[in-house]
Amino acid sequence: MTAVSDDDYTFDGLPVDDIRPGTTVLVAGPTHAGTRSLALRMLAGPHGEGAIVVTTNQSADRVVEDCQRAGVSVFEDQAAIIDCVSDDEPSVPARLLTVAGPTDLTGIGMRFSDLHRSFADSDVDRVRTGLYSVSTLLTFSDLKTVSRFVHTLVGRIDSVDGFGVLFVDPTNHDEREVATLAQFCAGRIDVRDDGDGPELRTTGLPSHDRDWRRFDPSE
Amino acid sequence: MILCVDGDADAREATRRALADAGFQTAGSGTVDGALDVLADGGVDCVVTEHNLPDGTGLELIRTARDHAPDAACILFTETPLDDIDTAAFGDTVAEYLHRGSDTAHDDLVGLVEHSLAFLSQTAYPLPDDEDARLAALDRYAVDAEGLRDALDRLTDLAGELFGVATATVGLLDAHEEEFVACHGSVFDTLERDATVCTYAILDDDVTVVENVQDDPRFADNDTLREAELRFYAGAPLVTPDGHRIGVFCLHDDEPGTFSERDRELLQSFAAEAMDQFELRRRAAEDTATTTPAAGSGGDGGE
Repeated sequence: MTAVSDDDYTFDGLPVDDIRPGTTVLVAGPTHAGTRSLALRMLAGPHGEGAIVVTTNQSADRVVEDCQRAGVSVFEDQAAIIDCVSDDEPSVPARLLTVAGPTDLTGIGMRFSDLHRSFADSDVDRVRTGLYSVSTLLTFSDLKTVSRFVHTLVGRIDSVDGFGVLFVDPTNHDEREVATLAQFCAGRIDVRDDGDGPELRTTGLPSHDRDWRRFDPSE
Repeated sequence: MILCVDGDADAREATRRALADAGFQTAGSGTVDGALDVLADGGVDCVVTEHNLPDGTGLELIRTARDHAPDAACILFTETPLDDIDTAAFGDTVAEYLHRGSDTAHDDLVGLVEHSLAFLSQTAYPLPDDEDARLAALDRYAVDAEGLRDALDRLTDLAGELFGVATATVGLLDAHEEEFVACHGSVFDTLERDATVCTYAILDDDVTVVENVQDDPRFADNDTLREAELRFYAGAPLVTPDGHRIGVFCLHDDEPGTFSERDRELLQSFAAEAMDQFELRRRAAEDTATTTPAAGSGGDGGE
């Protein structure tokens, strides 16, 4: 068992135990089983934490609505969105960086690195990052390129003691692609819905048990 | 070695000095062409480059650098703001970005380089959890792999015949390459880790089977494997007594195939036998090292 530390990232209202700084988890499950909502809710932290949202398939203003619904506070000085979708610049209460599209993995990664630096300059030293979704990246780029991108991103999150959550809907991908990307992450959370509501199961993280646990995606 | 590329000699030397002070060996170049010459000579673990170079851009350099050193950490270290860099034209290149404008830029760079090299965080393939210890173990066993070639060749010949496949090999995976120390059937001497299926076979203790390599998303775009007409793959890791997977006993064929439970057991036996050969050779080398100083003193120690 790994001792719980005060520095661990916490997940209020979710059946997910605290997670050590520097960790990235892959959250895999069908979008409509509440997986995306779960992955968004994992960005919600105590006041003072920063959040970076990378959106590959919805515009920044839509993502802000989804974040607010998921309980993530979106404030100008503590939230940033890397938007790979919008041609214009939607008005959002967050720092907005636009990238030409989801094929520009170099642009996404570099903006992410630069954001971390500017958060550090503002003394925001705890930052949660969410990527929604890896599925889009796999649709437009080959696995090798997405692998290098994810590895670099995960490395950066580790180096700054951040927390990362990468959402993938495995429905449209070969399991070997999803398994490969999971190998770059310290942990994996799978989501399923057998008709009675969604459940999640955590693997790979020390001190987390591997039972299926029910969660309410609407809270 | 860290390659620092900047057309401004003063800036380049300042970067080199900061990295050298942190204990890194460095090389320098003022141009893309000069940097590519250094890369072609090998040994570059990390490229730190300005974006605006006299004969091109940093991203152009990094894209080509990946052909020479696919595992190298690449960092754009520049005062050019991101909005002025056309990343979209290099969307699949993927590299780190560090703005050089701040007072702490060199310290930040040293931190980023240290972390990138310690965790090899820009490879396009997953690394085993015990990678550092695994490489240390490999050093202990790979000392005299050449001396084992005959014994291992006999094993790969037997395996090739038994399984009826075109190729059977024993390969050791170092930090960047797989070296094939025994081969039944003609194949490669070495392969970059991002090009070999064995990179995935050392991720767990079980036998890895890929029934059709060309249908597997991990390898479908792999030109090396396609040109070698490699279709079927089965590999069992060589596991040291303390649990590190230093290499793979693997089978290839030019037709897709299947592999039974019994086949898996047999392949694991071949891997265990090959590992035993490495272990015996390592112990013999250790014994030689400890007894050599006494050689010539006479007697056989039988007192």
